[in-house]
Amino acid sequence: MSASNVRVAVLHGFGINCDHETAAVFRLVGAEAERMHVNRLIAEPTLLDGFDILAIPGGFSFGDHLGSGRLLGNRLRFALREPLREFVARGGPVIGICNGFQVLVKTGLLPGPVDGEGVMPDFEQRASLTLNESGRYEDRWVTLEFDAESPCVWTRGLTRIDCPVRHGEGRFVVADPTLLDRMDAAHLLTVRYVDPATDEGHGLTDDLLPYPLSPNGSARNIAGVTDPTGLVFGLMPHPEAIYAKWLHPDHSRYTAPDAPDVAPSPEERVLGEWEGEGLQIFRNAVEHVRSTRA
Amino acid sequence: MHDVRIEATPRLEDFASDVRGNVVQQRLATDLGFSVGAVRSIVGFLVRSPADEASLAAIVDDLFADPIIEVGGAGRTLLSDSTLFPEAPDLVVTIGPKPGVTDNAGTAALDGLRTLLPETRVEGAGVSTYLTYAFWGLPEGASGSSIAAALHNPLIERAVVVDAESCREGTWPELTFPERPAIARQAPATVDLEVDDAALQAISDQGLLALNLEEMQAIRDHYRDPEVQASRAAVGLPPHAPTDVELECLAQTWSEHCKHKIFAAHIHHRDEETGEDVTIDSLFKTHIMRPTLEMQDERPWLLSVFHDNSGVIDWADGWSVCMKAETHNSPSALDPYGGAMTGIVGVNRDILGTGLGARPIANTDVFCFGPPQWEGDLPSNLFHPSRVLRGVHAGVRVGGNESGIPTVNGAIVFDDRYIGKPLVYCGTVGLMPSILPDGRPAHIKTAAPGDLVYMVGGRVGADGIHGATFSSLELTEDSPSSAVQIGDPITQKKMLDMLLEARDAGLISSITDNGAGGLSSSIGEMAEQTGGVDIDLAAVPLKQVGLSSWEILVSESQERMTVAVRPEDGAAFEAMAAVHEVEATVVATFTDDGRFHVRHGEDTVALLPLSFLHDGVPQLRLESVWQRPTHPAFVPPEGVDHGDLLLRLLARPNIASKEDWVRQYDHEVIAQTAVKPFVGVQRDGPGDAAVLAPLHGSSRGLVVSNGIVPRYADIDAGAMVVAAVDEAVRNAVCAGVDLDRMAGLDNFCWPDPVTSEKTPDGRFKLAQLVRANRELERMCRAYGVPCVSGKDSMKNDYGSGSDKISIPPTMLFSLFGDHPDVRMTATSDLKREGERLYLFGRTRQELGASEVACMLTESGEAEGIGGAVPAVDNPEAQREAYVALSRQIQLGRIRTAHDCSDGGLGVALAEMCIGGRRGALVDLDGLGLDGADTFAQLWGESHGRIVIGVEAQHEAEVCDALEQHGLTLIGLVVGNGRLTVEDGFDLLIDIPVDDLVTAWKGTLALPVGGAA
Repeated sequence: MSASNVRVAVLHGFGINCDHETAAVFRLVGAEAERMHVNRLIAEPTLLDGFDILAIPGGFSFGDHLGSGRLLGNRLRFALREPLREFVARGGPVIGICNGFQVLVKTGLLPGPVDGEGVMPDFEQRASLTLNESGRYEDRWVTLEFDAESPCVWTRGLTRIDCPVRHGEGRFVVADPTLLDRMDAAHLLTVRYVDPATDEGHGLTDDLLPYPLSPNGSARNIAGVTDPTGLVFGLMPHPEAIYAKWLHPDHSRYTAPDAPDVAPSPEERVLGEWEGEGLQIFRNAVEHVRSTRA
Repeated sequence: MHDVRIEATPRLEDFASDVRGNVVQQRLATDLGFSVGAVRSIVGFLVRSPADEASLAAIVDDLFADPIIEVGGAGRTLLSDSTLFPEAPDLVVTIGPKPGVTDNAGTAALDGLRTLLPETRVEGAGVSTYLTYAFWGLPEGASGSSIAAALHNPLIERAVVVDAESCREGTWPELTFPERPAIARQAPATVDLEVDDAALQAISDQGLLALNLEEMQAIRDHYRDPEVQASRAAVGLPPHAPTDVELECLAQTWSEHCKHKIFAAHIHHRDEETGEDVTIDSLFKTHIMRPTLEMQDERPWLLSVFHDNSGVIDWADGWSVCMKAETHNSPSALDPYGGAMTGIVGVNRDILGTGLGARPIANTDVFCFGPPQWEGDLPSNLFHPSRVLRGVHAGVRVGGNESGIPTVNGAIVFDDRYIGKPLVYCGTVGLMPSILPDGRPAHIKTAAPGDLVYMVGGRVGADGIHGATFSSLELTEDSPSSAVQIGDPITQKKMLDMLLEARDAGLISSITDNGAGGLSSSIGEMAEQTGGVDIDLAAVPLKQVGLSSWEILVSESQERMTVAVRPEDGAAFEAMAAVHEVEATVVATFTDDGRFHVRHGEDTVALLPLSFLHDGVPQLRLESVWQRPTHPAFVPPEGVDHGDLLLRLLARPNIASKEDWVRQYDHEVIAQTAVKPFVGVQRDGPGDAAVLAPLHGSSRGLVVSNGIVPRYADIDAGAMVVAAVDEAVRNAVCAGVDLDRMAGLDNFCWPDPVTSEKTPDGRFKLAQLVRANRELERMCRAYGVPCVSGKDSMKNDYGSGSDKISIPPTMLFSLFGDHPDVRMTATSDLKREGERLYLFGRTRQELGASEVACMLTESGEAEGIGGAVPAVDNPEAQREAYVALSRQIQLGRIRTAHDCSDGGLGVALAEMCIGGRRGALVDLDGLGLDGADTFAQLWGESHGRIVIGVEAQHEAEVCDALEQHGLTLIGLVVGNGRLTVEDGFDLLIDIPVDDLVTAWKGTLALPVGGAA
């Protein structure tokens, strides 16, 4: 396998609906991404062997009925338990965004055995993502800050980004409150909602932020968590939705006083200075895979 | 089979809460003024399957309850568990779907059950869901029935109420599995049409066929043709009379909904103002189709207009774009939630059914409702406007969000008359490759005789039989639940994923959706492509056995597409369907024998020549007489306080922020929305048009906008259409659209314009339609925006006689166009202190039917709304002006632009201050050159006007480019946080921006913790 050939399986089917853009952002950072129907993988689990990265995109799998992510999580948990465990065991990064995060939590892949026997997935549910305290689904931009010491391979070098949340069930809760302390100590509370008025790098806080700074009332303002391997990462906000700066709500304010009079050609398809701050997350995983091959 | 009850309720430990219960508590407070002490919720599942209680109890925490946040149990009612509910409630209400009503949560639960317990994968297994609410601390006067009525729609749901006494006794409400009575299939009946005219009409009326006498006679005459009789005898059909299957099929195909008979009518039009006396052979052909076809000569990028499910344009980089808008008014009046949801998922299918299949990439939603704070009388079987708003909003939210299609643009318009019939416009934009991998252009269908016809997606049920015709009947609790449908977005999403994969694999030769008229319409229309079809109704998968042939043929059950596949591709198509868990069944074969031949197994049940089916309907002949309506002239009150007026206008529901509602739509899934519904520093200023960059990695753009101004129809329906077209184009210009490459959709919603006993003023309403169409043609030709698709809904009235409510004639104009580069666009929010503000366009004395005139007339401060309505006298010059402005935006010289619409310049300035959280110092001096007085300068709604903000370094070139089109310096952005408007030495407005925000955002705000 050549160093350039990083292959990403992007799950789709049953109401997953961010599969196209999730595949697209991996392609923009140089990976090969393939949309893979859940049932094709279930019918032939060895297909997973041909991939380096697994992405479970956002959406409304099974309409969020019986709890978001539950039914798709069950399909994975009962049909793909061993292949998924092996995928992580051989160092494959996994990301779950929004509904994908909900799936990872309901399958027990996140937060994973934080202080258990080992670090490998045991498919035990320890947390949940439940109805927003606001009582409603919302599409809203939030500011996120990352734990610089997190072992997460996806978030290296990231400090703060803006991106949208688009969910009705994003409130991260655990049954055992001490679990959060242990996750925090291990830097597994990888990304949290912060007040954009704080200084960059100093926004993280355990105190619950008011709505809408925290859009859902998550414990400790948690937006996303990592498993102990650092490979499995899930978050409610959508970093793929800010792959380019023109998707930021402020982009019409960015024009510098010396803005060019002629618009750049849209055919270039190179983001350049218009790269959005969410794309680095996907590049990190691709580069991680490349680095492990070296 | 066992029936087992399973329930789950939220845990109430310190980290958990019962959000669902809190939402209901909040809703009762806002809707009924009931302050209830506490509300708890329980989700229930009635499981009918081979699995017994013990085996289900073992998987409760794997499927039905989330063990981290919920407590679940099998075989019992959780309310009886005193550890969970130590104190008996004061009231319990349980709500579940009526038999036969779509239960999406139940369908999902059954799917989950089949994943876990293989023995439940049998026919007849099912799950029905319910919700139980328990209440503590009821206020005085709060009855169980009033609370239950607020929480369910008896047309589609069952409710059981248990009072405090029964709760203390431990008697809990228990819904049982919803049983549908078995029905036996009826053999096709023969309908004798050789009767007198009165009896002929009675057959139509009693059979809900909605056919008039002339149409019934045309059908009767068909069966008198000896050739017809001979061909019928040859297949064993009664030669002299139709079967019920044929009659129903003709009624569907010839319905106003499918044939647009009023737009196709022969009209005798008289204008009593001018003395004009003319005949018009089809408004559609004359004023919509012909202009577009003529424009097509100069616009080769118009790929497909009118004949397909949506209009298609060649866009960019090897991609085509299509758009369609539909209305779902009657269904939304009956059940706002289900009606609106089936509206949005229905128009999504129009896109999927365009060409060989397009991917829906954006939705638009425009609603017209009665005022949400309505306190007047309400006819007994109409919902309160606030409930219609909530239900429609929820339906569109679920339908759009679960389908993964962003809702990017829309509007909500309020008027008392929409209490009688809400308007629910749902639009969808689609994207398809210009050329498929196998070399076929994606916008051209290629059906051939011998192709197999698949029904794909959902099954056919009794739901949706005559759905449309029920809308004309009075509704009661006993009305059949088939009158309305609930959508199933996930079934449709699976189907959509599968069909787009099949398209790219070259497996589809033709595709269309099943909407009105069901299979009879979808297969009947597709059969024209090859010249005939042979259908077997016995092959059609059913939700319920026993449906009769005609019911299967015309049922409008949702989530179904009809797809033509070459016989050699059938196996691959079915294999793909299996992977996606989508049902796909061959139900017909295309032929070229000119016949619409329907069998049920071996027996022929219908045989109609395609030519008669599609072209046999007689043309309507209608009378139209125009008399200009009179209104007392609008005269602004003396000594009016303009600051006060601005705050009142900002709080008007038509103008007020809809943010709390619109935020509940996903507006940026697909990662393409470059200008969103909300802009500015707090992301709460109004976006004018949506700007999309649908090709990931490219900033090539699409602009989507809407225009709708029904108020003006009170003075002139023609002016209403002018306003709608100008507003849509104006909004798109604010974003920098390419005016040489845009297309429009006309969606007419009219009160019945056919004179009858119920509609004595039909001639006038038809004349309004004539004027509207003439103005549509004038504007579209001059602006160069061809209509590529459209729709009309012509019976938007409620009741009769003195109780009759007719909607104002309403046309929505939707626009989609090219944008060269989304990085160069403007938004409405003020950007920087010192930015110079200009008004582009000319202000005239045009206050007739303006928002301010309506407001002051409603409050009694003015006598009436009469006066000149905004006009576009020279649309060709207006287009030139728009081209010049759009170009400056595309060049990046203008980053701030907002159009003047409802509430005129005053409201536009306020909204720009809100978006930027910045003040502005404005002087109206110089705006009176075209005859407008100060009041009209500030509040008039003259068309073609856009406020722009320009940075100093671009000012000279912008002025140079735009001056000739009317450009007036009106002020600048200031740092004092106030909107100050002066007219020379007179101070008219001086208000802190924060107060503008409060006024604008308060009216339609939703409480946090209480969903819509």
